[in-house]
Amino acid sequence: MNKKFKTNTINGTGLIVLCMMCFALTPAFAGDTLNYRLKWLFNTSVAGDIIADTGGFFEKAGLDVSVNEGGTGKNAIKELELGYANFGVASADQVIRALEKGADVVVLAQLFQVNPMQWIYRSDLLEIKGLSDLRGRHIGVTFGGNDETIMTTLLAKAGLTLKDIRISSVRFDFTPFLKKEVEVWPVYRNSQGVILKERLAAEGEQVKFLNPADYGVSFVANSVVTSGTMMEKHPDTVNAFMAALLSAWEFAVDPANEAQVLAQIKKKDKGTRDDIRQKQLEATRPLIKPDKGIKIGIIDTGAWQQTESIMVKEKQIVAPVDVTSRLVGPKK
Amino acid sequence: MLFRRIYQFLIVYCIGVVGLLTVKYAAGLSNYVIPGLAVIFDTAHRMLGSYFFDVLNTLSVTVLGQMISIFMAFFVGIIGRKSSWAGSFIKVMAYNIQAYPIVALAPIIFILLGDGFLSRLLIASMICYFPLLLSVLGIMASPIKDIEHFYIATGRMRWQLEVKIRAFENLNKLTTVISGSATLAMAGTIVAEFIAADQGIGYSIRIALYQSDLACILVALFSIGIIISVYQGILETVGEQMKTKWFAPKGEYLL
Repeated sequence: MNKKFKTNTINGTGLIVLCMMCFALTPAFAGDTLNYRLKWLFNTSVAGDIIADTGGFFEKAGLDVSVNEGGTGKNAIKELELGYANFGVASADQVIRALEKGADVVVLAQLFQVNPMQWIYRSDLLEIKGLSDLRGRHIGVTFGGNDETIMTTLLAKAGLTLKDIRISSVRFDFTPFLKKEVEVWPVYRNSQGVILKERLAAEGEQVKFLNPADYGVSFVANSVVTSGTMMEKHPDTVNAFMAALLSAWEFAVDPANEAQVLAQIKKKDKGTRDDIRQKQLEATRPLIKPDKGIKIGIIDTGAWQQTESIMVKEKQIVAPVDVTSRLVGPKK
Repeated sequence: MLFRRIYQFLIVYCIGVVGLLTVKYAAGLSNYVIPGLAVIFDTAHRMLGSYFFDVLNTLSVTVLGQMISIFMAFFVGIIGRKSSWAGSFIKVMAYNIQAYPIVALAPIIFILLGDGFLSRLLIASMICYFPLLLSVLGIMASPIKDIEHFYIATGRMRWQLEVKIRAFENLNKLTTVISGSATLAMAGTIVAEFIAADQGIGYSIRIALYQSDLACILVALFSIGIIISVYQGILETVGEQMKTKWFAPKGEYLL
């Protein structure tokens, strides 16, 4: 009986391990299809990615690309390593954390020149002219999220600490901000920010945004990444992919193509109202291309260095990872 | 019972970690995807203490939520045991409501009650309550004909006696269901914390997920597993002691 139990246990364990190995080692793509994992759901924030797919930019480049939505729990860098994705979108902190733990990831382009993570506040109730105006305010942060790191850096710049403000943990809905329990609330400027601004305007309330970049804090947001192996073994595919993707982004942020772009986004993002989608696209343009002279996707090396040093200072990583050595796309 | 629970958990946990490490080294994955043993130990050294208190915080809500669920399940189960119109109505309603995913209702609860203690308690109770109710209803609605016939025939049957007979005859089942529901209550509390609370182990797991830190999640799972094993072991031990006490002949009758 005991012997049988032992044999069964060993067999069962072996079977579980074998299944896990098969699951982990089977790549999710077949043939020549390239998988591109976004960071978040399909919405106006990923206009260029949608256009690259539905507007035929990838097809014209001779590429068969499957553009996949991101979301909570989806991590492009992990998927690159596991072979489920060939390209992906990741934020700078994800890239830096991954490098710290030995991941083989390189940055091909920096999509957002300005981080869309900003803080919304009612301009008729409070005025933020400088960072010292944050003293005593009730501010929302997502503990463990980017915004916590950014806010701590902003406070440090103003010579404040977390004790000088009131902090509330941010959750999925805006209720604490709408109920005026929290005065300053983190939002993605070009998506949630637009929705909240509209909603409050309907109630006769005016809002403004606190943009960390205005105070010298440039924490890099979404960037296009791939694995070092992919870059080394298939440089032509990588170049073709990037050329198609960046052309699509140029097309997407050009106001002349607005109607076409909005129509393509609508096919993927059916839950958003047309007027909101249009305003979201308007808000996205200056984040992607703040200036006519700026080439889309250009990597701001200084901002990456700043992001890394903020993360070291905030003990998000133990030691520097020399992130600039992994920035392989065109730089500022 | 208590130690058996703990070592059973340790075996399962170790098998899981060994499986992950096998995948890691077989596929040559970095510590970012699957952390190595050194990273796991280092994380445990840093985080185990705070996670332990987080799990205790979660457990306090779990225990309270489970007690409320048990009370509610017995209350409704006893009322719904009859084959009357009201009894059938309660049974049908319980079966229908338990089909709704409680997690989908969680955001509404958080909007209405905020992200404090009450929301966590309510979600934990709801997730634990319905499976408990169905089991209690099933037990309470099944007559123990051999025994009940005697009391009915002699006209001594009362509802309290009926409930006692059915509970006594199904004590094993009830103990198992109550002990099992601890896991559900714990899962419910963790889900609630994961969605929107600002305390507890679910909240800590959410933070670890934001930072894609699997080592932190493994350490958190270890803390949860150990503490829930102890809690379940205690419940089972109490159940065993109750059974022994109920089944054992009274000393004075033996003399």
